[in-house]
Amino acid sequence: MFGRDIFGKMDIILIGAVFVAVAFGIMMIYSAGFDPVEQINKGLYKKQIIWFIIGIIFMTMMSIFNYRQLGDYSLYIYGFVIFIVLITTVFGRPIRGTSAWLSFGFFSIQPSEFMKLAVVIVLAKYLELRERDIKNFRELLIPTMFVLVPVLIILKQPDFGTAAIFIPVLFTMLFMGGADVSHLVSIILIAIIALVFPMMYTYWEWAGYKGSSIIVQMFVHLDVLFTISGVLLFIAVSTFIMHFFFNQSFLRKIYIPATVISLGLMMSVVIHKWFKEYQKKRILVFLNPDLDPHGSGYNIIQSKVAIGSGGFFGKGFLQGTQTQLGFLPEKTSDFIFPVIAEELGFAGAIIAIALLGVIIYRGMEIALGTRDKFGALLATGITAILFFHILINIGMVIGIMPVTGLPLCFFSYGGSNLFMVMISVGILNNISMNRSLY
Amino acid sequence: MNQTSLKTRMLEAFRKRMYVFFISVSSIFAILVLQLINLQLVQGKEYSLKAQMNMENNIPIPAARGEIYDRDFQRGVSGTVLVSNRPSFNLTMVPKNFESEAAMIEVLERLRPLIGFDLQNTLADIKKGNPWERYLLKDDVSFDVIVKIASHKNIYPNIHWEDAPIRVYNYSDVMAHVIGYTGSLNKEEYNVLKDQGYKYYQTIGKIGIEKQYDAHLRGEDGFIRRIVDVRNRVEGEEIGKSPTGGNNIVLTIDYEVQAAAHDALEGSSGAVMVLKASTGEIIAMVSRPGYDPNEIISKENSGIIRELNSNPSKPFLNRTIQSRYPPASTFKIVTSIAALETEKTYPEKTYYCPGKYTLKGYVDTDFYCFKTHGTLDLYWALGKSCSVYFYNLGMAVGPTMIMKYASYMGLDELTKVDIPGEIAGFIPSQRWKLKTFGQPWFDGDTINMSIGQGFLAVTPIALANMMCGIVNNGIVYKTHLVKEIYTPDNRTVLQSSKKEKLREVPLSPVTLNTIKQGMRYSVQGGTSGWLSRLKVPAAGKTGTAQTRSNRKENFSQHAWFLGFAPYSDQPSENTIVVCVFIEFGQWGASAAAPVAERVFAKLIEQGYFREYSQQGNLNVQQIK
Repeated sequence: MFGRDIFGKMDIILIGAVFVAVAFGIMMIYSAGFDPVEQINKGLYKKQIIWFIIGIIFMTMMSIFNYRQLGDYSLYIYGFVIFIVLITTVFGRPIRGTSAWLSFGFFSIQPSEFMKLAVVIVLAKYLELRERDIKNFRELLIPTMFVLVPVLIILKQPDFGTAAIFIPVLFTMLFMGGADVSHLVSIILIAIIALVFPMMYTYWEWAGYKGSSIIVQMFVHLDVLFTISGVLLFIAVSTFIMHFFFNQSFLRKIYIPATVISLGLMMSVVIHKWFKEYQKKRILVFLNPDLDPHGSGYNIIQSKVAIGSGGFFGKGFLQGTQTQLGFLPEKTSDFIFPVIAEELGFAGAIIAIALLGVIIYRGMEIALGTRDKFGALLATGITAILFFHILINIGMVIGIMPVTGLPLCFFSYGGSNLFMVMISVGILNNISMNRSLY
Repeated sequence: MNQTSLKTRMLEAFRKRMYVFFISVSSIFAILVLQLINLQLVQGKEYSLKAQMNMENNIPIPAARGEIYDRDFQRGVSGTVLVSNRPSFNLTMVPKNFESEAAMIEVLERLRPLIGFDLQNTLADIKKGNPWERYLLKDDVSFDVIVKIASHKNIYPNIHWEDAPIRVYNYSDVMAHVIGYTGSLNKEEYNVLKDQGYKYYQTIGKIGIEKQYDAHLRGEDGFIRRIVDVRNRVEGEEIGKSPTGGNNIVLTIDYEVQAAAHDALEGSSGAVMVLKASTGEIIAMVSRPGYDPNEIISKENSGIIRELNSNPSKPFLNRTIQSRYPPASTFKIVTSIAALETEKTYPEKTYYCPGKYTLKGYVDTDFYCFKTHGTLDLYWALGKSCSVYFYNLGMAVGPTMIMKYASYMGLDELTKVDIPGEIAGFIPSQRWKLKTFGQPWFDGDTINMSIGQGFLAVTPIALANMMCGIVNNGIVYKTHLVKEIYTPDNRTVLQSSKKEKLREVPLSPVTLNTIKQGMRYSVQGGTSGWLSRLKVPAAGKTGTAQTRSNRKENFSQHAWFLGFAPYSDQPSENTIVVCVFIEFGQWGASAAAPVAERVFAKLIEQGYFREYSQQGNLNVQQIK
């Protein structure tokens, strides 16, 4: 197994892109960490180099055993990481209001980063085992529970960004695992109805919307709302029962939408009543930072100014005014992309995006390239984690996604995230190298 | 076999879904790139501007205000600098520049022995403001202190300084009412002036020449372009634009004469106007009591304005243009003019003065003269200021004509002096009396008016300008204080004021001669005798105004003097008119005339009547 063999079969494109991306990231962390007043560098880039070297060791380790063993031990891995995350949440000392860090004196790690991988592994294993029954709606329950438990724990920390990334990863894996599309769409629709209606109500109230709107009226007359959802639920239940006697597909077309709308409306009332006004406003600001230009909106405005002012070729390495004069917040971690876009311009930003695109594309290719279901799903899940990080982070800094504290994989400073990413790349490489075995 | 085909089918399904996933991912990447294009390439210019606004913090460099000189100014060679500027600095800081409050307090503690301030008050003040904004720690800091701070930047970190030249009023209260003072723009002024390029932090002339000629004096501020970081720490700076100094102004005021008049009024409330009849130039404009403009502009003295405002002697009032009083016997000139012009009398007409005048009526009323004059003609009636004569004259002319001529002579009009605040005098009318008191005009009112008592009220400047009209054979010029305006380097004259005719009153030579002759008699043998000692023939008219003041006893009378020199029956280039007013001065002859005498003496000393001396009547060199 060792020797020429392992390096010969190594996924050169994947690992090459990863190395270039991380090196690019370290260069930008150097720039972002440079203090022009004191003419010194805070030295974060040195730490990131160390994390990268350790990460390479992790990556190599993850490449050299039979990855299917991960599936065999998936429940233990999952249980162990949940346990660590739980301990962190309960006993961790809060840093910036979040108990997400487990401190070991000279360094700390963020166990919730590894939770993402553990969840993907356990989901891949479960979906492999239930390959044939997954079309059944009930089979969606257990994967959802696998995700819901860590999400609730992480929300308790509270770390909204990390918790949020599990949801799209879950849906991607369920979809790729063969779940019925109508089931997935129904769940998403219920969630949308349940959230959008009370949010619109709050938004209109906040923005001082005058005049009558059906949505405002609905929340004034809750009895009407309950009646509508009750009637719909009755129709859904009766058609569902009829479905057992007359197996006709048009009944399916009635009870599924009826259930979706009915449940969505009912949950919207629950959300409307349970959530406090300020909580709903906080969600609104999360969705639209412009509502709060001095709070979280400030960061996004500065980020957009940094990116926009970069132009095509940028202001030059170490020359970004937004970066170097400190207008850009969190510039080494969550806002590393604006540093690239400001100092190296559109050209640099496109190179960064292209590197990320190559990695994601290679992940999907690896998932397609193996005949092993577990391997394919594992590769899909890992690719999904990486992709949604990229989407949420870049989407946030360019102002088209809500503000969540998620790093940009490969580029952002941070040991835990880099370790998770390098382990992920190691697993992808492992699957890639072993694709001929199955 | 079945097993394999199922697996193949499932792999096929997985492959299809992967395509869906791939297309979704690709579209999302495309959206990210599109937004990037939008931000960087489409809106790039806008965002560049915003980035620039973030990091640039322009600090204004205040322009030095123009200097003000007296009339003898000759391009820096001679003359008196009335207002100048001295360099001074503001010490400032941005509280958030410090790492902690403790660090800030430490630096302030070290700074305290250097500039002296109350630490507790300052800290409380800082807490009230925005910690990201510049805080003015101390104004008017000397250059020495700045040098100390600049050479020990490590001991005094985050302490900045700015240029802030301070206005120096070299002759404090002597020139106060003429020049005025400057101050920060208040909200109303800012709203009016912001369109003219004024900034909220600038100073502006508040009153006097400083206000009227602010556009010339202010100059144009420059700025320093400072690159700052998010904590407002300075990363670098350069001069964005150098300031342009304000234009310098030469006044018509002769400082020596002004100071002499000011001294002569020492201890009393009053006003002195000295006008050059042939041009309307104001040689002196003194009002007492005054104030020190240096105290007003000092920021340490914030209560001073309120204090001065509540002072019962009203030091802010420019008594030459902003207050009006009954003209008393000086008004006998107007009564004479009315009588002569309407041909109701002639100069040689005599009346007998037994010491009082009895107005016949339902009840006889006596109007007194201050002494028994016997038989007088109009010349000597003016000279000795005999009231009984003018009672008779007033009754002969009638009230309407007196009012009309008072108005012709401009007593209820503005002299259009070029500083703000002038008020017009007041001439009553029959209709006004009916409206105000519900009574008709009585003969008693006419008698009172003919000697300048009653409802009449005039400003010293209007009275002086009326005198100029008589001296000029009826031509009255606009009074003015500014002679020339120079560029900041004093090399080029931007503007020089010419005489401007305000009105022309056609008066007959007989009238003019009679008034001048009567006033000359007043000096030679009448109430203005104080002036007879002057080496220049002067003419004058005194006045003593009874007031309805609460302050009774001895000081219930205002003292007036109105006169000119040299006396001549023809208009002369060099005629100077002096008007003195002393509040509660008691007698015009004994209080106002001596002041006028000192002013004329100073004018002679200054060489204003040199032409006269060449004719042999006066040797200026000897006097000096």
